Amino acid sequence: MPASTARGLVCAVVSAALEHGVPEAGWTGDPGAGSAERARAVEAALASAQPSLYVHVPFCVTKCHYCDFYSLPAQGEPISATVDALLVEAEQRATPRPPTVFLGGGTPSLLSVTELARLLDRLDDLTGFRASAVEVTVECNPESLDEEKAACLLEHGATRVSIGFQSLHERTLELFGRAHTVDDSFRAYAAARAAGARNVNVDFIYAHPELTSEQWTRDLARIATLEPEHVSAYNLTFEEDTPFRRWLEQGRLQRSSEDVELEQFWTTRARLAASGLHAYEISNFARSGRECVHNERYWRNADYVGIGPSAVSHVAGLRRGNARSRAKWSADVEQRGCAAEWEERLAPRARLGETWWLGLRTRRGVEPARARALAGFDSGEDPCERAALDLARDGFLEAREGRYALSARGLPLADALARRFLA
Amino acid sequence: MDRTLIRNFSIIAHIDHGKSTLADRILEVTGAVDKRQMRAQLLDSMDLERERGITIKASAVTVWHTYQGRKYQLNLIDTPGHVDFNYEVQKSLQACEGALLLVDCSQGVEAQTVANAYLAIECNLEILPVLNKIDLPHARPDEIVEEIENAVGVDATDALKVSGKTGAGVAELLDRIVERIPAPKGSPDAPLRALIFDAVYDEFRGIIVYLRVFEGSISERQVAHMLGTDRVYEAIELGCFTPTMKRTGGLTAGEVGYFISNIKTLGDVRIGDTITLHKGPKVEMLPGYRPPVHMVYADFYPTNNGDFEHLREGLETLSLSDSSFSYEPVTSEALGFGFRCGFLGLLHMEIVQERLEREHDLDMVQTAPTVTYRVKMAAGEEKEIHSPGQLPQPDKYEEVLEPYARITVMVPSEYIGPMMQICADHRAQFVRQDHLSATRVQLVYDIPLAEIIYDFYDKLKSSTRGYGTLNYEITGYKQGELVKLRILVNGAEVDALTTIVHKDQAEYRGRQIIKKLRKEIPRHLFEIALQAAIDSRVIARETISALRKDVLAKCYGGDVSRKRKLLEKQKEGKRRMRQVGNVDIPQKAFLSVLGGGEEDG
Ligand SMILES: Nc1nc2c(ncn2[C@@H]2O[C@H](COP(=O)(O)OP(=O)(O)OP(=O)(O)O)[C@@H](O)[C@H]2O)c(=O)[nH]1
Ligand code: SF4
Ligand SMILES: [Mg+2]
Repeated sequence: MPASTARGLVCAVVSAALEHGVPEAGWTGDPGAGSAERARAVEAALASAQPSLYVHVPFCVTKCHYCDFYSLPAQGEPISATVDALLVEAEQRATPRPPTVFLGGGTPSLLSVTELARLLDRLDDLTGFRASAVEVTVECNPESLDEEKAACLLEHGATRVSIGFQSLHERTLELFGRAHTVDDSFRAYAAARAAGARNVNVDFIYAHPELTSEQWTRDLARIATLEPEHVSAYNLTFEEDTPFRRWLEQGRLQRSSEDVELEQFWTTRARLAASGLHAYEISNFARSGRECVHNERYWRNADYVGIGPSAVSHVAGLRRGNARSRAKWSADVEQRGCAAEWEERLAPRARLGETWWLGLRTRRGVEPARARALAGFDSGEDPCERAALDLARDGFLEAREGRYALSARGLPLADALARRFLA
Repeated sequence: MDRTLIRNFSIIAHIDHGKSTLADRILEVTGAVDKRQMRAQLLDSMDLERERGITIKASAVTVWHTYQGRKYQLNLIDTPGHVDFNYEVQKSLQACEGALLLVDCSQGVEAQTVANAYLAIECNLEILPVLNKIDLPHARPDEIVEEIENAVGVDATDALKVSGKTGAGVAELLDRIVERIPAPKGSPDAPLRALIFDAVYDEFRGIIVYLRVFEGSISERQVAHMLGTDRVYEAIELGCFTPTMKRTGGLTAGEVGYFISNIKTLGDVRIGDTITLHKGPKVEMLPGYRPPVHMVYADFYPTNNGDFEHLREGLETLSLSDSSFSYEPVTSEALGFGFRCGFLGLLHMEIVQERLEREHDLDMVQTAPTVTYRVKMAAGEEKEIHSPGQLPQPDKYEEVLEPYARITVMVPSEYIGPMMQICADHRAQFVRQDHLSATRVQLVYDIPLAEIIYDFYDKLKSSTRGYGTLNYEITGYKQGELVKLRILVNGAEVDALTTIVHKDQAEYRGRQIIKKLRKEIPRHLFEIALQAAIDSRVIARETISALRKDVLAKCYGGDVSRKRKLLEKQKEGKRRMRQVGNVDIPQKAFLSVLGGGEEDG
């Protein structure tokens, strides 16, 4: 497509977004694109019955003010012992040949190259992921990612690097309580590229009190110039038990208005799409073929094993969660030989609803028969398909080739719609 | 017990004139309660009474007083002063030969002073006027004596001056009670006739019946016959209130006490019923109580539809302790199954609701209080309606009659102006004006009862800084220009919000209701039209715009469980809302609309 036409299209989408709130199409881009070989591998990974592997590294340099992930300031923490415990738990729990691997946290890049190499090597010994996984992501933060570390990651099996930029404004990084500058983020990105990373994600937060829509539009243009394969852009959430939530309640922080949130929501989709980064989930954007397979498996309600404090596993309909405490988790791993603190097995109807809820967050949407099979639901009329039909009639969903996905109208209402599907 | 040594009396007064506090001093002076156990308004034993500082239910207590070397049994009943609990006063008076008419020496005679005094006069009781709160610096006993004589018409020249606070004059008052209040007349040798004036439910002992014995006597192991319900019960325990229950083994003519048998079924005991001895001589029933007149009606619905039976049990139990409200099952499209209840007034309604919620752990939604209308049908017959929904289509009836009350408002003279304005705003017609004393005036008006129950009383209180007092009595029915005001959400009528209003007020009320609804109904996936309509004519309209954004930014493997539960909880909240047409209305919306009061939206 000639550049001028592309720009024309973008302008149309953007102005539609700004003037009417809602563009015509909910989703752009094409799911299974990219090379045919890659597409086949991705489809196989998505459909794989083997659980994926998630490893939670529970340390950060400092705690960000909006964050409710389980992580501890690394200073003075027994890092090496924690890696030991992660590996002990992996021995107990990790299943062979995971289709995808995700090292998250926390900040995995905070580990030294030695620890990272040890961790990845041993995980490969235990599971053989280097041969089986189509995608191995490591979450990194700018203050702890340089070329050496990036090279180490790639050398030991990582195929995808995710970098937490969060904002392109120093003041905002300060407000967020981040441990890096804007320059650090660009440097880390360049380092990853220099080390040979070919699949890079950058993380951002929008609709926070300091961000005007004009600024965000300019930021999006700057993000596009980085030419990442993937962008995650989240509307700021005031999570419970975070300083941000407290500040909100105290009136020290203001929520953006619904108009601003919606404007930025649609601008993000339009701008990134214009740069070839198509939304394939509420907050995730990728070049065709570079969608995060690991996360897509979550949204398909597929199986995964989670290792580390607070990590959750979902295997054969059983969901189990580890303690949200490093100390308790490591004691559980060592003494009980199992770190699961809670578990949940949903009845077929509840599982069906959950599958729809998760699936509807994505461009792929939900295929009713697959959802039923996955949930083991076979008792009479499918209430979710019924709800989908109704919502499609009202224009909140679109039916395409036997699948249901949110329409442009339904997108910003995903949760309100999801409630119709849950048990 | 020698009945010449018994005195039965009630303490009656306007609200807050110090009845319960005087009862405290009497308990103290007679040694019924020792200083350590004393607490203010000891007889107000219900939590609600203590919290609100008012008496809701009459309570009886027996004390002993020695006069000229002889020991007298004084049976005292502390009564409530609020106009809504008038029925309790009437019941108490029927068990007595005398009444202490208490008047607060700084407030003077007020509406319920007069109303309660007349009740006592009707029962032929000996009335002892008592000037209370004599310790107050603003006490003006001489003027008050004049007010009593003017307003009530009893001789108050030798009225005793007492203070329930300091105890001054209380010992003298006890002597005066013995001297002036007649002993009960009934003979202990006649066949038993006792009045059931109250009952309570005790988890372990079943129903405890409160009795006043008029004639004859009864002792434990004798078998009692309740004439009205035609049931027989063996007297397992008999005793009096001191104020705790004290077993005496028997009760004789003139005495007040309790009766315990093995009564488990609530319906088996009726307040006002007569007890005699089983297989004894036939006796006439005592006059009992005249049925209470219900001023207002409202529907109670359990918040949780499954609690209907629980609500029924709650009402049954409560009606034992408060026989003055009525209830019958009703169904509403918006609110499900519930009960239409009749009350003596608004405070009574509020108290019943609170007692149900507390004593029976129920959550309820209550519809707007309404009066009883009479409808003259086109076909000629007349019917009563207790709920706005029952008003037929306009072409089906000729006219609607609404109840009128004659109100007596007593105010300090400087508030006459504002008071008259309020009366004018509420369709009241002036009857007359009397001067009680140099500074106090009594205004008499005729007013539709519906006006009083809406916000008249609040306005009266606020524009007289609390000094104005009100008494009302139903005088009859008059034709009114009344219309049915309906509330529609997306075209569907919310039956629980339908009201009958005067046509001049319909638009204002309609606007108020939908403004409140607008605030309380959450946004839906579609736009919601709120309309107020008279018949089919829409008189006010508001819209609730469609929901625009509701989406979690993040949802990954570790969050699924927690976030799904959150969504499920929200869905559960929605399920508990009431569905009208395609709109979910939260309980809170009903409460806010039905809570009345003025508020701009
Ligand atoms: N100064 C003074 N205050 C009194 C006296 N008697 C009662 N009070 C106060 O007046 C208020 C009302 O007293 P209550 O004894 O509850 O009045 P009541 O007549 O029982 O009120 P209801 O039962 O609600 O009708 C309380 O604050 C008492 O403390 C008195 O003799 N002197
Ligand atoms: S770096 Fe990431 S995981 Fe760590 S505190 Fe900040 S947002 Fe949370
Ligand atoms: Mg009292």
